[in-house]
Amino acid sequence: MSVPGIVAINTFREAVRDRVLYNLVFFALIMIGAAILVGQISIGIERLVIVNLGLTAISVFGLVMSIFIGVGLVYKEIEKRTLYTLLAKPIRRWQFLVGKYGGLLLTLTVNTFFMALGLAAALFYVGRTFVRSDALILVAIYFILLELALVTAIALFFSCFSTPMLSTLFTLGIYVTGVFATDIRNIAGFTSNGAIVYPTRFLYYVVPNFHNFNAIGLAAHGGQIPFALFWQNTAYAALYVALLLIASAAVFSYRNFK
Amino acid sequence: MSRPSQTRVVWTAVFALPLLFASVAALQTRIDAQTRKQSQTQEMLLLSSPTVVKKLSLGYDSLLADVYWTRVVQYYGERLVKGGADYDLLWPLLDITTTLDPKLVVAYRFGAIFLSLPHVPPGSNLVGGAGRTDLAVELVKRGIAANPENWVLDSDLGFLYYWQLKDYKNASAAYLDGSTKPKAPQWLKMMAARVAAKGGSFENSSLIWSEVYASTKNPQIQKLAWTMLRALRAQDDEMHLDELATAYRKRIGRYPTSTAELLNAGYLTKIPVDPAGHPYVFGAEGKSRLAPDSPVVIPPK
Repeated sequence: MSVPGIVAINTFREAVRDRVLYNLVFFALIMIGAAILVGQISIGIERLVIVNLGLTAISVFGLVMSIFIGVGLVYKEIEKRTLYTLLAKPIRRWQFLVGKYGGLLLTLTVNTFFMALGLAAALFYVGRTFVRSDALILVAIYFILLELALVTAIALFFSCFSTPMLSTLFTLGIYVTGVFATDIRNIAGFTSNGAIVYPTRFLYYVVPNFHNFNAIGLAAHGGQIPFALFWQNTAYAALYVALLLIASAAVFSYRNFK
Repeated sequence: MSRPSQTRVVWTAVFALPLLFASVAALQTRIDAQTRKQSQTQEMLLLSSPTVVKKLSLGYDSLLADVYWTRVVQYYGERLVKGGADYDLLWPLLDITTTLDPKLVVAYRFGAIFLSLPHVPPGSNLVGGAGRTDLAVELVKRGIAANPENWVLDSDLGFLYYWQLKDYKNASAAYLDGSTKPKAPQWLKMMAARVAAKGGSFENSSLIWSEVYASTKNPQIQKLAWTMLRALRAQDDEMHLDELATAYRKRIGRYPTSTAELLNAGYLTKIPVDPAGHPYVFGAEGKSRLAPDSPVVIPPK
């Protein structure tokens, strides 16, 4: 196995040891609660709530995991001084970073997979059957995974040179800005002042656009997701992650641990 | 820690924890009683701007729309039980719900019903609402704009124009618009023609309420449709009896005092009963009406 692969597997094992996957229990409880309760307190949205709540929970739980674990990925190794032992071995710094990133991504994928199973079970409980449009939920989950991959890369980037507290704030800040990316673009439409138009337009293209990955509403209503969006989002996330990993490797390689 | 002391701690926990939880619950009850007056503040919307709520949802607007829709149902349900209450927050809540998720068709459909139904006095058997048909029409039109392929909303708009506003021209237009949409049923085109030709007739109204009854699984709406169908039949019977009473007066010189007189005079072949099985009675001026003990309710116009 390649060096990043070994680091990734160990990062995944560490996450499992740290009982990170316990959040699945909470997810299951939320799904069971919603499936039983919503029919009693609302009208006509039993299935919608299961889809919306399930996808939102997958996204929120994943985001919390990717940010809070992501910002500690490198910092923890430095703090515990395990990084020195690792770097003394024939491991390049970028390999270590890519491995760490891959490990957390694997954890998030496994976590998301089990949540998707839970969501499917809750949907089946409510509807007693699956319909064709339920396949869209899988696309929405895939988009959430892309979003998590991007957030993890941002968290890892900050983790390379900052404390977990500050990295969390920076990552959250970029995430929220990315959610409002479309509004940032729209600001340019309100004015013809170049001092506002060009910086906002620049910001729109620089900030990762998390709005792209939001297909929860579409999945809930059985709308259509064009195939082009599928590969465009994949390419967008892959490019951005590559960019962030290269930037992280560059920062990390110059970092002095003495 | 030694084993006996460990066991002691476990047993202490087993007994103490439920006791402490019970004490906390009892204390909370006291606190609730103490603060009940303060908590009886008027219900309000902290964030009344749908756009702001949508922005603050951070992309989770679909779930938030479900939460707001549930709040609409709870808000309406509470007032339904009380009767005669105001519905000031119904429109803002629906506005937020449909802005958060413009595809939430259920919110337009039921929201329009909640908004358009007339106020009813406390203790009434009828299902009441905010009495704001204007807002109901606006809501459904917004729903049609956001869901242009959905014929059901056109049918609802037609219903609002037909039943609440008696605007048969617009009702016919709404049914006709709906009939052109994908998967629209045949009866929409038929309704458009019938409403345009006859306006408000017993047959049209019955057909519309039958469709309302058949198209929903919600027990409240089914009950409303069932009540309306019974009321319609009773109204039609009364109209027919009134005509017979006028004919009876022309022949006998006075109005009948009971349906039995009409039967004896040969105007009826059997004593007519309302949808609940109670015979109709006659009042002054030969006007037929429901028996006082009849459970059939005719809603106020």
